[in-house]
Formats: sequence, C-alpha cells, structure tokens
Amino acid sequence: MLPDEPVLTDMRTAYAEALIREGRSNPDVVVMGADTTDSLKTSKFGREFPDRFFNVGIAEGNLVTMSAGLAASGKTVFASTYAIFLPGRAVDQIRNNVAYPSPGGRGGLNVKLVASHGGLSVGPDGGSHQQLEDISIMRTIPNFRVMIPADTVAVSALTHMMAAEYGPFYMRMARLKTPLVYGGGDDDDYRRDADGAGTTGVDKRFEAGRANVLRDGSDCTLAACGITVGMALEAADLLRRERQMSCRVLDMFSVKPIDGRALEKAARQTGRILTAEEHNIIGGMGSAVAESVSESYPVPIKRIGALDAFGESARDAEVPLLLQKHGITPFNMAQQAGALERLPER
Amino acid sequence: MGLDYCTIRSKVLRARKLVIRGTAAAGSGHPGGSFSMAEILGCLFYKHLRYDPRNPQWEDRDRLVLSKGHAAPGLFSNMAVAGYFAESEIDTLRAFGSRLQGHPDLKCPGVEFCGGSLGTGLSYSVGVALAARLDSRPCRVYSVIGDGESDEGQIWEAAMAASKYGVDNLTVFLDRNFIQQDSYTERVMPLDSRLGDAEEISAMWLDQDRWRTGDKWRAFGWNVIEIDGHRIEQIDDAIKRAQAHRRAPTIIISRTIKGKSVEHMEDNPQWHGKAPAQETVPIINAELESQSIIAPSIIAGDMTNLAAEVVRCAEGRADYIHLDVMDGRFVPNRTFLHEKVKELRPLTLIPFDTHLMIEEPHKHVRRYVDAGSDIVTVHAEVTDDDTFGEISDTLRENGVGVGLAINPGTELPEWSLGFLPGIDQIIVMSVVPGRSGQKYIESTHQKMARLMPILRDNGFAGYVEADGGVNLENAASVFADGARAFVGGGAIVSTPDVRASIRGFRQAVATARRRMLLDLADSLGGSDLVERWINLHVVGARPAEVRTIAQEAGYVAR
Repeated sequence: MLPDEPVLTDMRTAYAEALIREGRSNPDVVVMGADTTDSLKTSKFGREFPDRFFNVGIAEGNLVTMSAGLAASGKTVFASTYAIFLPGRAVDQIRNNVAYPSPGGRGGLNVKLVASHGGLSVGPDGGSHQQLEDISIMRTIPNFRVMIPADTVAVSALTHMMAAEYGPFYMRMARLKTPLVYGGGDDDDYRRDADGAGTTGVDKRFEAGRANVLRDGSDCTLAACGITVGMALEAADLLRRERQMSCRVLDMFSVKPIDGRALEKAARQTGRILTAEEHNIIGGMGSAVAESVSESYPVPIKRIGALDAFGESARDAEVPLLLQKHGITPFNMAQQAGALERLPER
Repeated sequence: MGLDYCTIRSKVLRARKLVIRGTAAAGSGHPGGSFSMAEILGCLFYKHLRYDPRNPQWEDRDRLVLSKGHAAPGLFSNMAVAGYFAESEIDTLRAFGSRLQGHPDLKCPGVEFCGGSLGTGLSYSVGVALAARLDSRPCRVYSVIGDGESDEGQIWEAAMAASKYGVDNLTVFLDRNFIQQDSYTERVMPLDSRLGDAEEISAMWLDQDRWRTGDKWRAFGWNVIEIDGHRIEQIDDAIKRAQAHRRAPTIIISRTIKGKSVEHMEDNPQWHGKAPAQETVPIINAELESQSIIAPSIIAGDMTNLAAEVVRCAEGRADYIHLDVMDGRFVPNRTFLHEKVKELRPLTLIPFDTHLMIEEPHKHVRRYVDAGSDIVTVHAEVTDDDTFGEISDTLRENGVGVGLAINPGTELPEWSLGFLPGIDQIIVMSVVPGRSGQKYIESTHQKMARLMPILRDNGFAGYVEADGGVNLENAASVFADGARAFVGGGAIVSTPDVRASIRGFRQAVATARRRMLLDLADSLGGSDLVERWINLHVVGARPAEVRTIAQEAGYVAR
C-alpha cells in the first residue's frame, strides 16, 4: 500500500483562525502585529475585532513592549511577526519587558509571542531571514515556554493552550505549508503509518512540558520538532524497511519545558537518540534533549541541524535542497540513526 | 483651590533626603536623575496621581511608569513618603533580599514597570493606556522618560504609536536635565543642538533658539508643553492642561537640573550614578533643608499699576509673589483686598504668598482662598487658638499653605505652639508693618535666636520668611539666623531690574548657605572634611568660589 499523498496545510491560517476563536470566547484577547499582519493572517482578527488589534508598523521593540503594557493591565496578548524580527531582534524587550516582570510573584507577563518563518524553510528570502537561533535564545530566558508545532493541528491546539494558560510563551511556525502529521479534521487518531504495519492511536495532547509519542519503537528514538517531525516518521519507515529497526518517534513540540520523563524512558528503552531541527545545533531542541538525557539516563545522541552556520536563499521548490545541505532529510536522519552506537539496556 | 504648594514642597524635601539616605546606605545608585525629577514626582504623588498605598493593585488607579529606571531611588523615596512602605525601608536599597531593587521592580507592590533597560517605558505606557481605554477605565498613565534615554529608537517608535492611537490618557514627562552617563546630552547625542567643545551646558539654557526637542515631538503629533521642571506651579498647570487635552498624548518637556538642590551634584555628570559618602550626608541634608525662596513684595512698586509689578516679578523669576493686604485697621495703611488678588491671579502661575495684615482674619480668609492665594499668612496678634484653628482648617482643606506672622514686638504666642507641626510658614516681621521702605530692625537677629529652638522643639517642619528691610547687605545674616524665605520690597521691586535684583539675592543667600555648610563640615570632621567637601565642587566657578569662602572663614589656607 502506497502512502497517501501528504495533505499540506498552512500554519498561519490555522493560527489566525484559532485567534478568532479565542477572541470570540475571551474579550481580553488582544492581537498585535508589526506590518506582517496580512502575511501572518492576523489581520482577519483585526477585521472582526478592530478595537483589539494593533498594528504598530515595522517596530518590533515597540510591538513587544506595548504587548507587555497591555498584558500588565490584564490582557491576553498575542504578538506576531517573523521569527527573525522577534527573538532575532527584540530580545531585550522580550527579556526585560515580558519575561522579567513578575506581578504578584507570577512569572512574567501574559504575552504570547508567535513567530512565523522559523528556520531554513523560509527559503527564497535567504540567510538574513532564516532564524536559526530563536529556540536557543528563547529557551534561555526564564519564565518563557517554547513551543514548536509540527502541523496545523498542533498550531490550533497550542494557540488554545497558550490563551488558556497564564504566562509568556514563544511559538515558532514554519513559512511553508506543512504536511499533516496529526491527521486532519475530526480524526482523533493518528493513522499515517506508511507500511500499514499498524495503526497507532496517539493521544495528541498539547500541554506544555509534554512530548507526543507518535510511534513506539525499541531500537532507537527519533526526536523532532516542527517540520522535522514528518521527516522523522519517514526516517522511521526507512529504518524499519531497510534495517529492520524499530524506531520511537517523539514530537518535542514543547522544547521548554521539555518532557524529561519521556526522554528518560526513550533513552532507557531505545538506547540511542537522534534529534533533528531546522535550527543551529547549538542551543536548539537537540541541545535541550541532550541536556536532559545526560542528567537522567545518558545514551549516545546525535544532533542534526545547522552546524553553527547560517542559511541562504532557496526557491520554494529548492527548499529540500537547502535542508539537505544541512543534513535535514529523512534519509540522513535514518543513516545517522543507524550509525549511532546503541547503549545496551542497563 | 490652592496649589498645595507647601505640602508638595515639603514632601519633595523628605523624598530627596530619602534618596540621599538610601544611596548612601547602598553605596551606589543614581541621585542625579532622582533629583532632576523630584518636583515632577512630587506633583504627581501628592496631588494628581490617584492611588491607594493599601491597595496597590486597585484597578482604577493611575499608573506611574518610570521609564528612566535608574532613577529608582527617586521613585522609592516618594513611595515611602506616600505610604507604600516605611521610610526606614529605604535603608535596604539595592541590598540582597530587598524589595527595593537597583531598578524599579514589581517585587515592590506599587511599582508599575520594571525599568532599567532604557527606551522601553514609553511603549509599555502606550500599552497600559490602550488597555485602560479598552476597559473604559478612567485611569491615566503618567510616564517619566529621560533625555539620554531618548537616544533609543524605541522612544520614537512609541511616540508614533501613541500618536496613531490618540492615547489622550497618557501624559509623559521628559526629564530634560541635559546629562547622560558619559557627558552632556548635547555632546553625546544632541537632542536640541550640538554643544561646542568649549561651551558650558548653561549655553543651552540661555539660548531658546537652540531648543529643538519640542519640535521633534510636535512633528510626531503630540501635544507639547514646555516648562521649568523644578517649578511646582508650572508642573501642576501642565498636568491640568494635559488632562484636558483630547485625542493626542501630551509630553511635558521639563527642563531640569541633574542633582538639583545639592550644589556639587548640580549639572555635574559625575553624579549620574554615584552615591554620596556617609560623612557628607548630614551636610547634604542641611543643604536640602536650606533651599531658599525669594518673595518680592509688589506694594513696594507702583501701587497704581500692581498688574505691571506682578509681571515684572514673574519675569524676574520670583519664587512667590508676596501680596501685602492691609485693611487700614490692623495697620494704618490700606493697600488692597481680595478683589485685587483675584484680579492679579491670571497674570502668573507663580504662587501667591498672601500676607493678611487685617483685623479678624478668620472672617475674611475664605475670600483670599477663593481669590487664588497659595499661601495665606495671618497675624498672631489678631488670632487665637480658636480662630487660628478655623483658619488653618480652611486653608488646609483648600490646598493653601498655612502661615502665621508675628510683629517685631510680638513673641510667638503660647497657643500657637500646638499648631506648629501643621504650619508651613512663619513670617517674622523685621519692620513695623504698615508701610514700605523701613529699615531692618537689628534686634530681629536676637529674636530669631530665641525663636528657632522653639520651632525645632515643637515639631515645626516649615520655614521662616523674613519680611521687612531685607536687602542684599543683610540677606546673609538673615539666612544665618534661620530664615529661608525672603520678602523683598525696596531691595527688589523698587529696583529697575527686578531679575538682576532677584539674582543678586539668590547669590547672597547661596554664599551664606555655602558658608553654613562649610561650618557644618568643620564641626563634623574638621579641616579634612572641609577639604573633601570643597573638592566635591567641580563644575564651573563653584570650586574657586567655595574655596574662597572657606579661606575667608579660615578653614583652609589661602
């Protein structure tokens, strides 16, 4: 049985629709933009709730700090633009105006920074616009929680979660349409299993601090976030087909807080971990996994990502080539995982 | 309603002393920028800001956002005076475990904004102001930004956003003290115009044609008001105008002096971020307590055109306009009554220091309040326990300072002692009231020597105003006696150049103050401390002038 043609959906559209749902149910939801509101599709929120929508122009510092001011007065603020202009530009405002103030001892103000255009898959705009450092920047700032959704289902669920939960969040989306990994529509279970070797019911809860086990396995763990989650599933298929390896696939959508229990279990049960992300391997999700596992149950780990390098232009159809240059492909993931020494179970 | 001038002024003094106490205890901190905005914060905390220290999170409170967060001691000291916490807590400034962090922090309830990284408080304020509008709350947002801070691009991002959204519930003070960490602002990054290498910063003060900051803000669509940021009456008026302005935010460009009220800190970039040494704290406190007020008395001028005399005094930069009301009964002369006070009131914002030389003042005081007086002084000879209590209550309730005057032949009456903690001003007459142009009665010096300990021992926190025959020759001795306000009739208003005469008075008083502080330094720490005190003065002619005074007094070698 051939795999289904992947369904591509747009994270920004899912985000904007989720915002409108939140806006309807909660009059304190305010949306902020910085001249990218058509691109982010948040302008739709502005049409429905003109009083609760502020476009500050190309002024990201002001975007973040005004959001903090609104949040300090009880608003639930979603502020969005491209990743390169949020952590990449306004880290002082993010740290000192959003994360640092702790009213009544609550950590940080209630601002959700949601960035599109994370990683290499930004494509044609080139290296200046490909944010490969944001996970590292954001997860080192106290009080911030960092979410990297793999598809539109995750985007919708995480937007709802962030609206409901107090505190600062950073969520990074991809520019390109992405294949659904969590199934579509009302389908609650994950059914994409290329070999038809078994349908795995997945409990797709999107809570901060949790990793979703998309596929169980005992020989190796593939940990991914964002667009690499779909790749990890493909890599798992490859490894099963070509090396008869049973791979566990973890969606590390919550990079911070990270699911230390799921990682420890994966380390103990599978003996090796491969991580993949469209981010610098320094400080990214792979680093977070390594930090956690090295203290709980050390096993060999291999990180795939940009090797302390910047990106470059690639037209949309060429984005796979750009990703390939940095080793971010299912094939390379499978190869690296297969080559990784497995620590026998202790 | 009066201005609450005396209340604000005395609380500003308390706050300034706490800044010195806190930074000296901490061994670091930023007194300079705390003092340049001292009167601004005073007018907010003790008059315009709506807040409840027992319920700091009251939802309809006004918000004060200190964007220039390094001036945290200025904020904390006022919060202490306003009752958010005990004044003694200022001793924990910057200490491990203290709520009073090096920069304003929400750890201290009542603080609205975590300042420190400059250039962001204005954006924050716009957000807070928009939230208030969304929720239809009546609260206003007041922000204080610095001029050095205005180098930050985000100030101008916020300026555009505030203008776009027409946040008229936002009032911003620019504390324009012309100094940032490295040097004068107009050397580091000019906000008005570039300062030449050979120029003193005073060149910027003197030439209004070089002021560009207001133009910048007007171009950004703001309502711009420009004031002297140490003049309580101007700050108060600007706030009222800002409150009345619709559909645009207001910026009050407040020209100030960094380190204001402590001479060696004034206009001295070194005091941007340095704490005073403990040994100098008593001297600095004495300096803060001995700030002077010049109050020209208009009846010494052309009685047929008192309006012109008020204008001359205002243009001469008087601190008060002294109005001698004489009824022809308490004193033989008649000058004018409350109608005239009311008529003169619109001519200036400068506080009216109304001296009632009238019989039965308790029957008339209300009219002088309504006419626009800011301080009303009545005579001890025509009041008693009951009537003065009544007068005092009326004045207090209406934001008018409470004054009590005694004639040359009168000692402070026994009944008045209980009132002293609530009296703002004691006028000690050094001529027999009733006509101008008399000579200073020399025995007033002895009278002051009797009076000052009584005032001190009875909890008096105001100041003595010397009235009668005070001139450039005797101003120093009158200051040395303990007077801090000086009524000038013949010596000011009768001179052709009122401004020059007032400047002369200020210089005479400043010299006397310098001498007093040197005396204090000597008594506290001998010639070593005197020498260190002199050496703190580095700007302009001050080092030479202070040294000369010390030499003349014999504290240091010539």
